[in-house]
Amino acid sequence: MYGYVRPVKGELKVSELERFRGVYCGLCHELARRYGFWSRFLVNYDFTFLAMLLAEDAPARTCPRRCPAHPFHKTECLESCQSLQTAADMTVVLGWWKLADGAADKSFPASWACRFACRALKGAYDRAVSRQPDFAAAVKEDLGALQTLEKEKCPSLDAAADKFASILRSIAGGIEDPARQRAAGELLYALGRIIYILDAADDLADDIRADSYNPLRYRFAPVDGRLSPEDEKVLRTSMQHSHNALVSAYALMGENVYTGILSNTIYLGLPAATQAVFAGTWNTSAKIHRKRSSI
Amino acid sequence: MNDPYSVLGVSPSASDEEVKRAYRDLARKYHPDNYHDNPLADLASEKMKEINEAYDTITKSREQGGGASSYSYGGSAYQSAGQSRSTGKNAQYVQIRNLINANNLAQAEAMLNAIGTHDAEWYYLMGSVYWRRGWMDQAGQYYRTAATMDPGNPEYRNAVQYMNQGGQAYRPAGGMGGSMMGGDMACNMCQNLICADCCCEMCGGNLIPCIGCR
Repeated sequence: MYGYVRPVKGELKVSELERFRGVYCGLCHELARRYGFWSRFLVNYDFTFLAMLLAEDAPARTCPRRCPAHPFHKTECLESCQSLQTAADMTVVLGWWKLADGAADKSFPASWACRFACRALKGAYDRAVSRQPDFAAAVKEDLGALQTLEKEKCPSLDAAADKFASILRSIAGGIEDPARQRAAGELLYALGRIIYILDAADDLADDIRADSYNPLRYRFAPVDGRLSPEDEKVLRTSMQHSHNALVSAYALMGENVYTGILSNTIYLGLPAATQAVFAGTWNTSAKIHRKRSSI
Repeated sequence: MNDPYSVLGVSPSASDEEVKRAYRDLARKYHPDNYHDNPLADLASEKMKEINEAYDTITKSREQGGGASSYSYGGSAYQSAGQSRSTGKNAQYVQIRNLINANNLAQAEAMLNAIGTHDAEWYYLMGSVYWRRGWMDQAGQYYRTAATMDPGNPEYRNAVQYMNQGGQAYRPAGGMGGSMMGGDMACNMCQNLICADCCCEMCGGNLIPCIGCR
């Protein structure tokens, strides 16, 4: 989706990096298996994180596979499992809506590309909706409410972020253990708020230029596409509190085979992404990240 | 009851020092200060109880050193909305505080919205509702309004201070202390830790054993 939720690779153990790659590639294969070739393009770090977070505490089974991105050597991919299937379904639902949003909001030719992709993935989207009806209903409702807020130029940052965060929280609905479900719900809500704000901060200058809605425009008073240092401090402090809530909920989730990677993503990855977004280097660092890694 | 060793995540052959270290790390993780006005505070305190019981069981069964008992975190100094200050001047506010404490945020908000005049307490409680809901920016604005309207009130002042300083949460040892606020997190963390230790010591507990003494 947005790609902000990723581990700091240099701080992962070699075995953890391989396991992370296995989940990412496994999710891509799962998308192709369940939804066809084109859905592979929706694979992202955020849902890789989700697949790891939702995973049962059982040894992960992998198998070597080839794919269009790595045609000459096989990579160890996580085999199909419950958490991977759920993550793939949700990737398609949310990914399709993001494309639909792009088709409506973006200007030519990007809007046409989004429209074409939306058409191509409509069948996949319908299948994903039938597999995850509760999640799909939550996405539709909350995104609809978010659009209304955008039209009204809602000045409350939290009210706008709440809609996106609620979508992520609804993912926890599938967890059976009530305590774990509550903890995951709080974790995902806080994560959703952080992702929404990061996206808003990242797009602030562009949104001001294009005169599109951005909650930070109405909550604060940005000058030349940037927040004043005082406003940035207030915003980042409020994100720190969400991060604290996320960390506290994460502590109650229990451990699984991906704990090392999840901890890295939460304790280091999110702060690093935040730092990069506010320093204005996110897009550059994300590009370097893509170039350097084979994932 | 679960195996006390698996609760602490150590093997039965672990030394006393290893058991103590594992216990301390977990106690730090689930400390009530990390769940300040948090909707998951009840789960954390259950976990804390489980850890304390496991540690007590192990130390008793080993019968060494005598009386190395668990921390008592029962009387933590943090004040969550609903459990503090019996001002008693407004029964409705007391009721709202109780609702907030019981995580019944929708009803607390409905009751607050039904109140016509908004005094400092109203803003503070509305801030608490937003805080628990995860609306951190809005919560901060309401806390600040409450503190501006009644600057002498220590509860409102503390809430604003907590808000501005970035709060606290568990960070594992070993360089995992990233901050969303930029700058050096280590400095903030030390501040928080020392503050938390002072609070604990006031209540008879101890968070930093090398500063205080057990």
